[in-house]
Amino acid sequence: MTSRSDNNLIVEPVARLIEEFGKLPGIGPKTASRLTFFLLRAEEEQSRALAEAIQAMREQVTLCTRCFNITVGEICPVCASPTRDQTKICVVEEPLDVLAIERTGAYRGLYHVLHGHIAPLEGTYREDLKIDELLARVRGEPVDEVILATNPNTEGEATAFLLLKDLAPLGVRVTRLSRGLPTGGDLEWADPDTLGSALEGRREL
Amino acid sequence: MHVTTLSLRDFRNYQRLDLQLSPGITLLYGPNAAGKTSVLEALYYLATTRSPRITADRELVRWEAEGEAGVTPFARVAAEVQRLAGRVRLEVIVQRRADEDGQLTNTSTRIVRIEKRPARALDLVGQLRVVLFTPADLTLVDGPPAERRRYLDITLSQIDPHYVRTLAHYQKLVQQRNSLLRSWRERRRPPRAVDDELAYWDQELSAAGGYVLAERLRAVAELNQIAGPLFCAISGGETPLTVTYQPSLELGGLADSGGLAARIGQALRATRREELARGQTLIGPHRDDLAFTVGTVNLGRYGSRGQQRSVTLALKLGEAALMRQRSGDTPVLLLDDLLSELDAERRAHMLEVIQRPGQQTLLTATDLADFSPEFLAASTRLRVEGGRVYPS
Repeated sequence: MTSRSDNNLIVEPVARLIEEFGKLPGIGPKTASRLTFFLLRAEEEQSRALAEAIQAMREQVTLCTRCFNITVGEICPVCASPTRDQTKICVVEEPLDVLAIERTGAYRGLYHVLHGHIAPLEGTYREDLKIDELLARVRGEPVDEVILATNPNTEGEATAFLLLKDLAPLGVRVTRLSRGLPTGGDLEWADPDTLGSALEGRREL
Repeated sequence: MHVTTLSLRDFRNYQRLDLQLSPGITLLYGPNAAGKTSVLEALYYLATTRSPRITADRELVRWEAEGEAGVTPFARVAAEVQRLAGRVRLEVIVQRRADEDGQLTNTSTRIVRIEKRPARALDLVGQLRVVLFTPADLTLVDGPPAERRRYLDITLSQIDPHYVRTLAHYQKLVQQRNSLLRSWRERRRPPRAVDDELAYWDQELSAAGGYVLAERLRAVAELNQIAGPLFCAISGGETPLTVTYQPSLELGGLADSGGLAARIGQALRATRREELARGQTLIGPHRDDLAFTVGTVNLGRYGSRGQQRSVTLALKLGEAALMRQRSGDTPVLLLDDLLSELDAERRAHMLEVIQRPGQQTLLTATDLADFSPEFLAASTRLRVEGGRVYPS
């Protein structure tokens, strides 16, 4: 195990890798040295594969020029697919949200990834999000509905509110994901906020 | 309501404490730093999820507390409370956090359980209602406005679950909005479409602020009914105490939450230029204050020490009466080394209240000689020494 004081006992290439691992989230000095010494002892092939994977990820992964989801190449598979409904755009905060919605199998339209939400406290403002890009798409593409699927918290609501203001003059239908109770849940244990919005958003049967 | 059992583990200087409490008066006595106040602190923490004396939760964990294999040290406070609405078990665990190398950090996590079910900290507030009296309460009268807002907020939060949530939401909105205003003031961003960007925050701030304001006004009106005459009785004077809510914006006689929300919205638009210049939200419940007057005299500024003490006592007893009036259930009174601070007159009032049937009171003292034999005979005495409690 290493500490700052014995870093000068370690040869430079090893110390450098420890330092790089240590910059990753959730990895402290101990784990960083454990990973480094693991690679030092492992087959050379393993280190090469890791280095190549990291490099390939950096070189090949880009943002889709249309929806800004992560992809390889110019256009992502969803945007390129002729079977997707070109008249609907689902707006999400992060690429992982696209996966979540795809997993439902209930949506066949397109996406738009904002890469964040409005949060002045964290230093994220309107211009830090792909909002102008979305407005350009709505103007230029045959879109008739924009679904705002930002998170149901203060920041997500602030983002949706701003988007609605921008989208309203464009004459497109704007909808918001409904907020409600989880499937298999129990009314008795639902928190008052969720239950309250489920009541507000109730629908005719 | 009353607490029937309190159990502590690694909380402050208690390694372990299991206390059965009676519905009447419990007198905790012993030398300084023995752990008397920690018992009151534990109950206050369960009621409000805050400690009256510290800011960092991790300081609640007993210093010598040892973790077990893979578990960092933690403090546990649990109590069973008998209320009109039935019995409820409350529990909070504060656990110190370790970094990945197992070194303890200065942070902690908190687990809340109500009836053994995980709950949010906000859901805990109001399950047990307490009113704490300490010699430091005097700052209520002559301290900064934040102390007086805190007094109202803690009272209302314990009565109204919607108030706690709305207030927490409101405070977060103010921070976000201030950051946005600051980004323009510090010229980090061009001030384009200012109204559009502020629209959401203004709307939410107005709605939440309207509710907070309406509830505070209602509470102040009720407090005047209660604390006004109480002040006469305590101070032996003729003129009652008047509590006045001092809003940071002109309310125009409005008192309902919808009307006040609209009023805040208007006022925000009217102060736009100044808010942009100062980079902060200048109006709203977070800038309001309370004034205490007797006749035409403002006691915060011109009151004698004695008058200020009487106001504090009237406000605290008023808080307890307000809770009882709204819910029908008497809150638990926590008196930290208070009786020795009071003169004979004020003391008599305090004693009268805590000797009412159905009133649970926990009080701390260093010296039993401060109490009459009748009082001692009517209370359960517990001797506290070195983080242990002995019946006496």
